[in-house]
Amino acid sequence: MGLSSAAAIASEAIQLCIFDLRRGQHEGQELDKILFFFPAGLPFSKQLSVIGLSEGLITFTRIFSPEAACEVIEAERHRHVFYESEPDVWMVMVVEKSNDSEAIWRDDALRKVLKEVHSLFVMFHGSIRALLEKEPGGELARRHLYSFIMDYLRDFLVGKKLLLPSFRDCLKERGTVQMLTIGREAAIEVQSLVRMLESCAGNSSCYSLILFQDLLVSTTLSPDDTINLFTYAVLRLTPHALSSGVSSWSYLRKGNTGSNFATESILAHSRSVSDSFYGSSDTSPDGDTHHHVVRPLQHDKWSKGKDGYLVTDIWGAEVGNWAYATPTVWLQQTQEKMYLCAYQHRNLTLILLVPVSIILNGEQGVSVVKQQVLENASLKILKVEEKLSKGWGGENAYHVSGYRYLLVDGDRNVSRASPAGKVATLNKDSLLSMSKVREEVDLEKNRAKRDGSGCERDLEFCIRAKNNAWVIARVTRGKELYMVLEKANETLLYASDAVEKFSNRYCNGAFSLD
Amino acid sequence: MSGKASSSQSSISVTGSGALSHVYIQHPPLRCNIPGSRGLFCDDGNKLLLSPTSDQVFSWKTVPFNPLVGPTSDSISEGPIISIRYSLDAKFIAIQRSNHEIQFWNRETGETFSQKCSPESESILGFFWTDCHLCDIVFVKTSGLDLYAYNSESKSLHLVETKKLNVSWYVYTHESRLVLLASGMQCKTFNGFQLSSAEIVRLPRFEMVMAKADANNKPVLAAEDVYIVTVYGRIYCLQVDRVAMLLHSYRLYRDAVVQQGSLPIYSSRVAVSVVDNVLLVHQVDAKVVILYDIFADSRAPISAPLPLLLRGFPRSSISASRFSGRETESSETNIMSDHEAITYGDEWNFLVPDLICDFANKLLWKIHLDLEAISSSSSEVPSVLEFLQRRKLEASKAKQLCLGITRTIILERRPVSMVSKAIHALISSYSHSVKTGSYVKGMKSDETSASGVPHSPISGSHVSSSGGNTFGKSSRHESAARVDRVSLNRSSTLSNSDPEENASFEKSIINVSEAQVSAKLNREKSVSAEAHKAEATQSSLQSGQQEFQLTSPAISPDEMYSFVFSPVDEEMVGDPSYLVSIIVEFLHSVNLEKIKVHPNLYILTIQLLARNERYAELGLFVINKILEPSKEVAFQLLESGRQNSQTRKLGLDMLRQLGLHNDYVLLLVQDGYYLEALRYARKYRVDTVRPSLYLEAAFASNNSQHLSAVLRFFSDFIPGFRNTSEHDTYFRILNEMNSSITA
Repeated sequence: MGLSSAAAIASEAIQLCIFDLRRGQHEGQELDKILFFFPAGLPFSKQLSVIGLSEGLITFTRIFSPEAACEVIEAERHRHVFYESEPDVWMVMVVEKSNDSEAIWRDDALRKVLKEVHSLFVMFHGSIRALLEKEPGGELARRHLYSFIMDYLRDFLVGKKLLLPSFRDCLKERGTVQMLTIGREAAIEVQSLVRMLESCAGNSSCYSLILFQDLLVSTTLSPDDTINLFTYAVLRLTPHALSSGVSSWSYLRKGNTGSNFATESILAHSRSVSDSFYGSSDTSPDGDTHHHVVRPLQHDKWSKGKDGYLVTDIWGAEVGNWAYATPTVWLQQTQEKMYLCAYQHRNLTLILLVPVSIILNGEQGVSVVKQQVLENASLKILKVEEKLSKGWGGENAYHVSGYRYLLVDGDRNVSRASPAGKVATLNKDSLLSMSKVREEVDLEKNRAKRDGSGCERDLEFCIRAKNNAWVIARVTRGKELYMVLEKANETLLYASDAVEKFSNRYCNGAFSLD
Repeated sequence: MSGKASSSQSSISVTGSGALSHVYIQHPPLRCNIPGSRGLFCDDGNKLLLSPTSDQVFSWKTVPFNPLVGPTSDSISEGPIISIRYSLDAKFIAIQRSNHEIQFWNRETGETFSQKCSPESESILGFFWTDCHLCDIVFVKTSGLDLYAYNSESKSLHLVETKKLNVSWYVYTHESRLVLLASGMQCKTFNGFQLSSAEIVRLPRFEMVMAKADANNKPVLAAEDVYIVTVYGRIYCLQVDRVAMLLHSYRLYRDAVVQQGSLPIYSSRVAVSVVDNVLLVHQVDAKVVILYDIFADSRAPISAPLPLLLRGFPRSSISASRFSGRETESSETNIMSDHEAITYGDEWNFLVPDLICDFANKLLWKIHLDLEAISSSSSEVPSVLEFLQRRKLEASKAKQLCLGITRTIILERRPVSMVSKAIHALISSYSHSVKTGSYVKGMKSDETSASGVPHSPISGSHVSSSGGNTFGKSSRHESAARVDRVSLNRSSTLSNSDPEENASFEKSIINVSEAQVSAKLNREKSVSAEAHKAEATQSSLQSGQQEFQLTSPAISPDEMYSFVFSPVDEEMVGDPSYLVSIIVEFLHSVNLEKIKVHPNLYILTIQLLARNERYAELGLFVINKILEPSKEVAFQLLESGRQNSQTRKLGLDMLRQLGLHNDYVLLLVQDGYYLEALRYARKYRVDTVRPSLYLEAAFASNNSQHLSAVLRFFSDFIPGFRNTSEHDTYFRILNEMNSSITA
């Protein structure tokens, strides 16, 4: 379990810290503000210097822009990406600029990682601020953050390195959901099932999420909660996540998740350093619930039970009961604590959220609801699964030959992209250009947001890249389309025709305004 | 229609009924007491009740049933009368004078002639007129059937065909055109003939089942223990087995007779009626009636045995009388009343299908179903709705009940699965009625229906009664197997027992469809002025309201919206998501049956979801096209999108996808996207939006570049725009803007 030399190498490249500006404002108490630091083995002096720089810049930039302070620092050898996850609680990711040609990042993509891990954390543990208020010493928050983020980062481990989303992922969008396209008839069946599910708890304050494979079919949650639960489901709950044992980001990421076990030790920190600071992350249920840290992102913890429900011991087992405790999550929109019941039938995953407040007798009540679902909805579940399987076009269903694209609907937080396998065939130069273009679009979008005119502007980029490629970006009223056309004709007319065709065929003409 | 429905949205309770009966007879009966009457005869071919005196015969029409109808009379010669029937064209009166002689009376000329048979070898058991193309009248004799045709030249009958058989007794109903001839020691061997207009079909010989009390005692089947009934267009033979206390049923096909199971009986005297395809088994001794809906395979009764109710009897305390008691109560009626109050009297004769004749008191009653009581007696709502949907006689009432029940279960927030089943029952019934063509809005009847006397849709001279006026056609197109299960027609056909043979209907023994036209015509004529007046006065409760004569209780999706979802939405309190669930189930059913839905329902769904702020779901509904795109839906999305910009965008996108360019451009301009609007307008040649709208929007954005671009656009693309005052105004404004910047 020791600190390996590899850890040191890996830790050079990427640093991630979380700190609270409201803490440790007096000299000698600086350590207090650190809530999380990766790599944990880094000496506190170095940790403090990273945080000190960040804090200084935030304070400085706030003078000019109180609402949105610093977003990124571009230094000679490092890039600092900032994200204010909660008021005064900042997350900073430091990535090293190296000669490695793979180490080219898009700030927004990195920020989305920070945003994602924070949202997931809040969903399971509540806000960091709340944890700090609960236990002002900060140990509780640190312990939770440490185990949670370390579990999360493990997903990015490839070989000996943490592979953060780089330019190669420019045709993907984190923080969006991928939807399954279904016909009207199937949609009605699904809705009928949704209503049935939510009526099972006898109360309308239930919510549900239905996934087919790693794609969303239906949700009744608010957009933000949908993203969080969808993300978690794809990470840990869907058949693919269950079977692979190791999580992959999504089916798109398949192939990258090879030999993770050998390298897990990279993330293992030196206990001698951090145990005192972060507390024990040991999850052995020793009965002392105060020290028990729930680790929802722990690997290989979910499995499918005999009754079709997914079970895990992450949340511990109830004393005197063989059954595992039902997971609970916090909804962002309603600030309600919900029981999470996940049911799986072949490729269909159903997530039912039942308010803790309406279940009077705890686990017993939850199992009654589960039973109700089985009794009332089994038939519908079978039917829906069958119907969706029939219409399912496979992993390459959304491939459009000749195009490599990413389609983002910012209003609904939905994205669709060419399959990863197809994107991988693109030339590196094309991907780099696309990454650049996206960076430009991000900039424009942020600028428009700051203007706050409420009017969404249309944008259009069309770049002739190396290897006869067209790199195109189009933004229209909240919808974004990015595409790369390789080996394409050199006229601009060709490029715009290609967009027009694609738009008419697959986007209901949303991008063909002229 | 709508006016009626909204006014009759009375509280129809689904549960808890104090119903005392499910079947009733309405006071007053048809009184046919003629001095010197020699008895009552029922002529089912012409739907007449006949009461001959020594030199006259009085006849009352029984369809449509009107207790106040007056008799018509014909004079006849004196003599004994065993049986009497009018010919189907009403030109002749045939009177069986003895076992050997039937006398004919030409009503136009007054001529008479007789037909006799040899008294040694055979005797006449009875006779009936037929619309078979081969013959006009059939004599049933102990030696078989004699088929005669009338020869107008010789003014006599001539024998067409003879079917030689031993006959003990026979049963015939004009409704089924079927004659069953009993033979054998126990009279349980039957030969059957169906004399349809097209052909004469001989049924295979069959035996009926009789339980034996003991080995040596073999019971003999009597004519009054066998009934021919027509239910849903299928012909059944029902046989009372007094020893086993069972009512056996046999389904008659053209090539087979299949026993269909037995119903228990609880009385030594049993009678059978059919009202609106519901089988009524009267347990006469117990004075109760049990109802069966022999539609599916189930032989379970519809409800518990309950007595037959006498409604509207003047001095009885029972029932809320709808009859106003208009009649002056003469001393005679007072005396009569005592007899009239007795149900299941010894002298009651049950005439197939739905009449009761009291021979002693010379009264004729018509049996009615109390749909309201039946529907409220069962908590199994889906099956109740299915039952109501099969009712044709009181289609309008059944429809109102269905709508009321559906409203109530939704308002009571019954489990979605149950409501879903109920809705599905309604939708599949509608779908079926559309397919068979029986869902026609119905002709507007110019007389209002009398409250106590529901209209029988057809008063044919030789057709029993019938659901839709187009069913004849439809039944021919349907496969036999399908009709076996679902046909609601009352066309009396013997379908082929072999379900594979689809063509059986083409060859069906009776083809009633051609009778439809005449039946319809007759109906118009038959409403005599007298009856009309009587009905009009009786229906004072309904105050002369015009209403459609419905032929089917089927409920279209539009009506579901207007009479169920819309009113429920208004009445319902609390969380609307339950109603959304119901609508989803409704759409599910509708989609299964491939029926169109009016955008109103989609609009309601949008409103409900928006009210609950479930915009994410609303988005899914729109994107997955659960709510089918239409202009109305798009505008509702725009309306509901006032609070939610994504929803508004969905509405805009829908307008664009529907190709409603004009509306789309207008809304883009209104939202301040005037440049996009211009590009779009140019592409799709939208020239109906005034330039000033774009210019105003550009001016409002306070961007001189944009304003100048818009101005330039119109100058270039609209000839003569430079000379308009608008151009001048905005040109000046633009100049001012530019000078202020430079200044």
